[in-house]
Amino acid sequence: MTVEIDWMAFVNVFFAAMIGACLIVTFYATGLRLLVRAGRIPVVTPAEFTDAITILTDKEVKRAAKQAAKAAKKSPLTEGQKRLALVGAYACFILCALAVIAGILIIVIGH
Amino acid sequence: METAVLIVVLVILLALFFDFTNGFHDTANAMATPIATGALKPKTAVLLAAGLNLIGAFLSTEVSKTVSHGIINESAILESGAELFLSVIFAGLIGAITWNMLTWLLGLPSSSSHALFGGLIGATLVGVGLGGIDFGMVLSKIVLPALIAPVTAGIIAFVATKIAYSITRRYDGKPDGRSGFRWGQIFTSSLVALAHGTNDAQKTMGVITLALITVGWQSQDHADPYLWVIVACALTIALGTYLGGWRIIRTLGKGLTDVKPAQGFSAESSTAATILASSALGFALSTTQVASGSVIGSGLGRRGSTVRWRTAGRIAIGWLLTLPAAAAVGALAALLVVWLGGWGVMVDAVLALVIIIGLFLRSRRNAVTSENAMSDVAESGRAVEHPEVPPPTRRRTRIELLRALDHAERKADEAEKAARRARKLKKNGGSETEIRAARKAAQRADRKVAEAQQAAQTWEALSASRRARAELAEWDVSDEEAAEREEQR
Repeated sequence: MTVEIDWMAFVNVFFAAMIGACLIVTFYATGLRLLVRAGRIPVVTPAEFTDAITILTDKEVKRAAKQAAKAAKKSPLTEGQKRLALVGAYACFILCALAVIAGILIIVIGH
Repeated sequence: METAVLIVVLVILLALFFDFTNGFHDTANAMATPIATGALKPKTAVLLAAGLNLIGAFLSTEVSKTVSHGIINESAILESGAELFLSVIFAGLIGAITWNMLTWLLGLPSSSSHALFGGLIGATLVGVGLGGIDFGMVLSKIVLPALIAPVTAGIIAFVATKIAYSITRRYDGKPDGRSGFRWGQIFTSSLVALAHGTNDAQKTMGVITLALITVGWQSQDHADPYLWVIVACALTIALGTYLGGWRIIRTLGKGLTDVKPAQGFSAESSTAATILASSALGFALSTTQVASGSVIGSGLGRRGSTVRWRTAGRIAIGWLLTLPAAAAVGALAALLVVWLGGWGVMVDAVLALVIIIGLFLRSRRNAVTSENAMSDVAESGRAVEHPEVPPPTRRRTRIELLRALDHAERKADEAEKAARRARKLKKNGGSETEIRAARKAAQRADRKVAEAQQAAQTWEALSASRRARAELAEWDVSDEEAAEREEQR
């Protein structure tokens, strides 16, 4: 009995998954970075505090927001550069979504 | 024929029940990390997971084809007789459910998918014989993906975490906005739920399709499952997800104690990408194993993390045991069918009923703890140890070194000035008080130089400390004192 194993299929899965995941993470992280550069530093508090998350008081959240606002104010970028960074951030988020949609479409069309 | 119809109905019901428990069990894999990082409220997460599992079940049927037309040798089935083989599938499902339940109650790491395959393989081996299994297919589509997929997901998650942290890292101490990954986690965890639907719901579709082919209700050439099978499986897995998920998610929220939003985002991206790519090629993966591999990989992607090999080993042994153990239980159930015929099916059915009632009673007891087997992914999170303060990056080391050097230089200048002033006062015959004050100032500055020197040494600044030492030699107020200080240092 001979067993034929399609090793190329495993290589394909590895590279497809690696490229897909890295694209999503790179675009999203770059989007966040540009958002920070544009002076819109996100301060996202946990939706619900499970045991895994250290509970933040309102004061701590406000302090984080204040720090973010202060850092945004001290940005060395001009208003034009900030706008450009913001556009870049949104473009990155859109690219991230497009990468996912493209991946799902490949699966559905392949099916 | 009537008996065959009855068994087909029983197989479909049992397969759908397995699908329900799969949804009940595996929701946590998709939603563990967003709950742990607080990206989603548990109830929202469950609703989202249920909806996306439903949609995911319609996206692809490749995995279903692997189950219905891959692992079992159809020609051998037809030789053994449809009725016997239906009983064998039934026994296989009993094996899968029993093993799943047992591991859940005992808190052992397991995988629903491998329990299903193990049960089917074990029962077929006993009921039909070695010819009933296509071992090549089992090896290439189940065993190898089971070994390779968690490693693949782990490597991808490791790389993705490194990317996420390096892109968002700031060296000026200002907010880096990484909490924004919580928004992204809503998106990636939805993707994992969708991927779960494309892979796990199809396994049950494959079992039902196999049963339908066995009794001749579906042509052997028609590989795709019927629409009603897809709808039934999609609805059942979604229902299981909705009804059971939140209890499990609560456990996982407790278990995954140290997942940061950027890490969770990367882990979920890796899990979703691996499962979706595998589903497209018909690899029947275990979502639990892929999610666990991603959590470990992303944990290692954080600076200074180390693997707790004992915990990781325990998880790996649990994974390796699942397939043969479920196969053994499936084989026992099939043995009853072979020995007792129709009565064997009855005994198996009673056993299944007892197990289902056991599950129901267990779910009624409010015993959801981190010791529960549902926390497989959480267990993987504990396999990686993170230091409270991660070691600095190379760039941070360089920045700190430059800062320490600059500080040491400034303090050296101060010390030099004070020493010069003291010498000048001594030479010009200044009052004793003035000289003492100048000496004290020089000593103070000297202490500061020592501190700066220590800081520089902390950052491995050998050149800085050497320079500081060279400068110190010139700051002495008197030769004796200089020698004393040098000795102290």
